[in-house]
Amino acid sequence: MPSEPAPSTNEREFILAALRENTRLDGRALDAYRPISLTFGNDYGTADVRLGKTRVLAKISCEVATPYPDRKFDGIFTITTELSPLASPAFEVGRQDTPELLLSRLLEKTIRRSGALDTESLCLVAGQKCFHLRATLHVLDADGNLVDASCLALIAALLHFRRPDIEVHGEDVTVFDPREREPVCLTIQHRPFCVSFSYYHAGEVMVQDATLLEEQCREGEVVVSMNRFGEVAQVAKYGGPPVDGLSVLGCMSAALERVKGFDKMVTEKLKEDEKRRDAGGLMAELSAENERPVEGGDRVML
Amino acid sequence: MAISVLPPAPAPVPTAHKTQDGDSPVDEDDMDIDSLPTGHQRTAQNILTPGQLVTQDPQWMRGHGTFNADDSDAVNIRSTLAGTLQKTNKLLSIIPLRARYTPEIGDLVIGRIVEVQSRRWKVDVAAPLLANLLLSSINLPGGILRKRTSVDELNIRSYFSEGELLVAEVQQLFQDGSASLHTRSLKYGKLRNGYFLSVSGMGGGSGVVRAKRQIFTMQTRRGGEVDCILGVNGYIWLAKHLDEKKEDVGINKLEEAAAADTTMYSSQNDEIAAETRAEIARISGCIRALVENGVKVEEGTVKMAYEASLEIDELEGEVSYLGGERGRSVVEMVLSGRG
Amino acid sequence: MPLDSSSYSLAQFSTQAAADGSSYLEMGQTKIICTVNGPQESKRGGGSRDQSNAARIETDISIAGFSGVDRKRHGRGDKRTQEMQHTVSSAFSSTLFTHLFPHSTIAIAIHVLSQDGSLLAACLNAATLALVDAGVPMSDYVVACTTGSTASYASNDEEADPLLDLNGLEEQELPFLTVGTSGGEDKVNVLIMETRVQMGRLEAMISVGLDGCKQIRGILDDIVREHGKKALNSRVN
Repeated sequence: MPSEPAPSTNEREFILAALRENTRLDGRALDAYRPISLTFGNDYGTADVRLGKTRVLAKISCEVATPYPDRKFDGIFTITTELSPLASPAFEVGRQDTPELLLSRLLEKTIRRSGALDTESLCLVAGQKCFHLRATLHVLDADGNLVDASCLALIAALLHFRRPDIEVHGEDVTVFDPREREPVCLTIQHRPFCVSFSYYHAGEVMVQDATLLEEQCREGEVVVSMNRFGEVAQVAKYGGPPVDGLSVLGCMSAALERVKGFDKMVTEKLKEDEKRRDAGGLMAELSAENERPVEGGDRVML
Repeated sequence: MAISVLPPAPAPVPTAHKTQDGDSPVDEDDMDIDSLPTGHQRTAQNILTPGQLVTQDPQWMRGHGTFNADDSDAVNIRSTLAGTLQKTNKLLSIIPLRARYTPEIGDLVIGRIVEVQSRRWKVDVAAPLLANLLLSSINLPGGILRKRTSVDELNIRSYFSEGELLVAEVQQLFQDGSASLHTRSLKYGKLRNGYFLSVSGMGGGSGVVRAKRQIFTMQTRRGGEVDCILGVNGYIWLAKHLDEKKEDVGINKLEEAAAADTTMYSSQNDEIAAETRAEIARISGCIRALVENGVKVEEGTVKMAYEASLEIDELEGEVSYLGGERGRSVVEMVLSGRG
Repeated sequence: MPLDSSSYSLAQFSTQAAADGSSYLEMGQTKIICTVNGPQESKRGGGSRDQSNAARIETDISIAGFSGVDRKRHGRGDKRTQEMQHTVSSAFSSTLFTHLFPHSTIAIAIHVLSQDGSLLAACLNAATLALVDAGVPMSDYVVACTTGSTASYASNDEEADPLLDLNGLEEQELPFLTVGTSGGEDKVNVLIMETRVQMGRLEAMISVGLDGCKQIRGILDDIVREHGKKALNSRVN
């Protein structure tokens, strides 16, 4: 199995010694992220996140399908992640190994299990027709902190995505072409974001947004997912040296600050993208969607 | 949920639970290290469990099964195993209740060839790592003493091939804990004409222990003599006694003695009488009974268990199976015989 | 909040003769058999041997089809199970003294016979017992338990009451987390939460969990001692 070459002992010692003095190789503060860029594609539901050298592309697509027999009133929502050799020679095709498993589980828990997407709204005719929403994540370049970048890309793409408008008469469903009717956005109930903390020196040093090199040297990680209201969707610390209970709680409050920043950034970028698309100011007229009561102020209004 | 899984044996329900205060050196099982006699026998009846503080007294040195909890200079010797404390002068080590065999130089072990390489064999000796047996550390047929040539390398499978059993001695240990074996004595070599069984070696009490003699011959009632080889690693070989080897031969007399022995690397079994087979089975049953009841396996206990099984047969009629109740009574007789 | 220790957990040591170490653990209706083999040289791979200078820990969790309320086959590729396997392996990687066994593998096999909540916690506890039985050196027991919070995330914070050791039904209804420690101190080794909960709750939940772990450590320690005493008593010198 070709794997990422491990850093040499000297390299490792150097990084660890620097971290003990609260210094990182790239000069960032311990809780600082690399520059984040979020861009949307021309199609709805495409988000491209760059976090330093790490780059993740999320694409949402949807089609009409039959719902699962045990979940008649829910649409289907699947998240596909694949770490291909494109991102790093360490990843192999078609072989699922631990990093990929953890990435897909963390996204699953953060977004699907926490009910970020209202799957009931994807249901067309109970038990017969529903939307099958697919989220595909392409990691284009891996330089650490894939989880945060992937989660950010996925949430942004979900918010950006527009599904075709429909009309239901009894059992008949009409799905309108985007040219006929302006597609509508998804019902996102809350926006959870992942924040990963790598720790060193038995939990004394907590680092956000670790680069690949820093990840290779770390003792363990704590991944926290929450939305900007402080609702924790998921916490994962898979073994590794034990850390103090208080520093885990410290992660939570640090994550909250970070998530608020993410949320604000995504909102702004969506607005920018909206403005760009709405060149002639015709969008409001085209929308066939009625105004809905705003829940928790968390829904993006057009 | 109405599932109830019956436990395999009567369940030991722990009686009193108290929150263990790991940091305090004084708890119910507190022991006074100074009062323990030093030496190699297991003396303390106190169990130490992983994480338990053994001592903070800086006069002691930490040995196997212990670690120093803090990075600081303060002495904080803690146990890493469940076992008993052994004191050798100032060295404290923990003898686990049960553990995999760890090779030591001079151990007599029984092994199984797992892999044949160009100049050596890889031998399973129930240790964490496979042991090495070099082509140069075996006796050649006829006892010829010479450098091993490429012809020997090509014929390596004619000595030992995969799956074959052998008895050997640990010659050397490597940095990573793996062992190098040798069979350069007539006592050692390929095993045939017998029966292999595996019990846990070394570890807590049951299983094979290091003793004065690991190889002995038992005079059985009906089946003639049976050779018993108790490998320290917990592998045991019981075989029909061969008459050719009249006495143990030292290395220097090896040539003459081995010259006659052409069957050294034979993989063919001799004719074994049904009675001998029955006796081998009886001895193996005895050994198993000893292990099941937590009694160590050594020459004395095996011989006593064999006698006890014959006695019981006379009293209660002959049963070839020595498990369960019958095994327990055999072991009881062994224990009472010693007391 | 004390655990009901008499009926709560029943554990046995050395249940499987063939394995190097084994245990059987019941936590309520969650029942698990765990066996440990090794450290031993990894059999697969053929030619190139493992060059690492510490033992690798491999965990395999198989969940019996009859273990749940409805009979369901649990495939090996199930991501949730794989995640649990990874959690068990990495929880022990920092606690076991793997550097003592270079190029070798410690294989932990966990068989879930019946599941009713606290599955991951029970797996970790059973694996600890089996590893102690196998005589693998470790710095301390790894113990785990679950804690839940009575109120869901929407309702009033003050009324939330942390619960210890949840069963299957409670796990379905309440937000909960699994917390594991190694050692008596308040150090978190494993922390897994999969349900939505207000941040403010976590502190109480974690501290109750750490307290529960301490109690479980006491229970496991008693089991080990009990077994050890028995083994020593039957020993003949």
